[in-house]
Amino acid sequence: MSSSAHRRLLQEYRALTNNPPDGITAGPVSEDDFLHWEALIQGPEGTPFEGGVFPAELRFPRDYPLAPPTMKFLGEVWHPNVYPSGLVCISILHAPGDDPNHYEHASERWSPIQSVEKILISVMSMLAEPNDESPANVEAAKQWRDRRDEYEAKVRDGVRRSLGL
Amino acid sequence: MEQLTSEPNYDVPDSTDWLNTPLSALMPVEQAFRCHVCKDFYNSPMLTSCNHTFCSLCIRRCLSVDGKCPLCRKTDQESRLRGNWALREAVDCFKECRASILEFARKPAPVTTAASPKRKAAEVEDSEDGAERTPKRPRRSTRSSRSRGAEATPALSQEEVYSPQRSEVADEYIPDDGLVACPICWERMKLQAVDRHISTGSCPGAPQPQSQLQAPISNGASTRSTQQNFPSTSKAKPQHPAKVLEHLPALNYSMIKDQPLRKKLAELHISTYGPRQLLEQRHKEWVTIWNANCDSAHPKTRTELLRDLETWERTMSSAARTGTLYGTQAALPQVKDKNFDGASWATSHDSSFKDLIAKARQTKKQAEQKAKEASEPELAPVVQQPNEREMAHRESGSIDNGGGNRYHNEIIGFDGAADFAIPVTNNRADQAQPSPAADSWLLK
Repeated sequence: MSSSAHRRLLQEYRALTNNPPDGITAGPVSEDDFLHWEALIQGPEGTPFEGGVFPAELRFPRDYPLAPPTMKFLGEVWHPNVYPSGLVCISILHAPGDDPNHYEHASERWSPIQSVEKILISVMSMLAEPNDESPANVEAAKQWRDRRDEYEAKVRDGVRRSLGL
Repeated sequence: MEQLTSEPNYDVPDSTDWLNTPLSALMPVEQAFRCHVCKDFYNSPMLTSCNHTFCSLCIRRCLSVDGKCPLCRKTDQESRLRGNWALREAVDCFKECRASILEFARKPAPVTTAASPKRKAAEVEDSEDGAERTPKRPRRSTRSSRSRGAEATPALSQEEVYSPQRSEVADEYIPDDGLVACPICWERMKLQAVDRHISTGSCPGAPQPQSQLQAPISNGASTRSTQQNFPSTSKAKPQHPAKVLEHLPALNYSMIKDQPLRKKLAELHISTYGPRQLLEQRHKEWVTIWNANCDSAHPKTRTELLRDLETWERTMSSAARTGTLYGTQAALPQVKDKNFDGASWATSHDSSFKDLIAKARQTKKQAEQKAKEASEPELAPVVQQPNEREMAHRESGSIDNGGGNRYHNEIIGFDGAADFAIPVTNNRADQAQPSPAADSWLLK
């Protein structure tokens, strides 16, 4: 059984292992289920996330790449665009048809030409530059906007805790 | 995650294979030959009205979802797609020679005395690979090293094909006599005579003997026949079979009621089973794969397409595993059908049958043994049977579709069909029950 989703993910996995982008590792959790990946993202340098390593899981739909995967951080991530559950809210992960927040340009949203690599790179830059137009975590967004020091301290604290320091 | 790479099944060719080789410049070349949607080599590339190219199947699927070009998001329609035949040819040629170029790039060829003077001195350091050279193909490596001397960019090696120096290659077949071969008919003559030979029309034009043809154009690839060397001419004919495949029209599902839709499916000889939504999806998928097949240079047979549809149905349905049975049953003539071709089925699945028989015998033996050893009731082996089958199923499900796996799937479909004699739609409870009928049949 080899669906197009399976083949395409195999191809992406191959490219990611041969030519891994900086600060990103990703691959299927087990060979039984190629629709379930795990990824590790390094906190971008020069941000309060620096030094952290953030595990996340990616779940792909059966009709991938026609529809986007979902991404969820497995640890705690205090960020305006990450739901308290860990679910990442970013335009590249939204299909053109559904715009939960009515602000995203179609050009930023999911298209079959996007890839795991592009998603993870987008998420990395999201960590560095939150988008507070439609926050997934309202508290974090408020803090980021009004009390940046507190926000950064809280993020750094989270990073330290996740590293077991 | 890491150990996956060691599995041969995960070894899919990718443009990143060129990285860390001296030919890393070929990575963007290969990327240009790959579809943006499936990331695989273009399969029947089609041009959109916004001048973007995708595989026929990929763009048709995308357009049927949101009607927009995945690259620029301009609205487009399937009917406006046009085949990009030049690209198709380029991709086919590249695929043909990819393996050998990559092999060369990874294990640089040894320096041979016959190597051309164009070769760069840097290559000398690669000569320690002499042991790698197989006695069968020393000539090929010579040629490869020459193309590397020319930095082996596609453009340059292309130039080389048509440059007079190419005549060196003919030396493989004809001893060095100080003559050169005419680039058109490959007749050997003095260098000065070539121009006159061509311009006066004494050149017969068509290349005659096959053996002289191969070398110059195949450029180190494994191609060994005239046909492969001239895809544009000789391949073009079989590409267009006498029976031209007609594209199917799309349906507006909101305008059609259940009964007429079922009738449409029946007319196309595909399954009419399932709820309305599934019928629509199935019809849509069939139209998509059918139309994409129409664009193909080497169209698949209807049976192959039905199998694709079945695979699609199996992977798309939420009950991916249990979905097998009705998929198989619906798509292909079943064992119980009148028009079922029993002989061809038996021959094509011979090994699978044998496997199953062996397995069933083994299970029976084990069962007997167990019954002897422990005074346990015969329940154990009976339970074991479906487990085993399920495992085979899972195996075939998780691995990229090798030929063997396909048989596995089908054989599962087959004894599932035997279950079908009991007119029940397939469900878990049904599967948990071993099929004594099928087993005893196998043991006979």
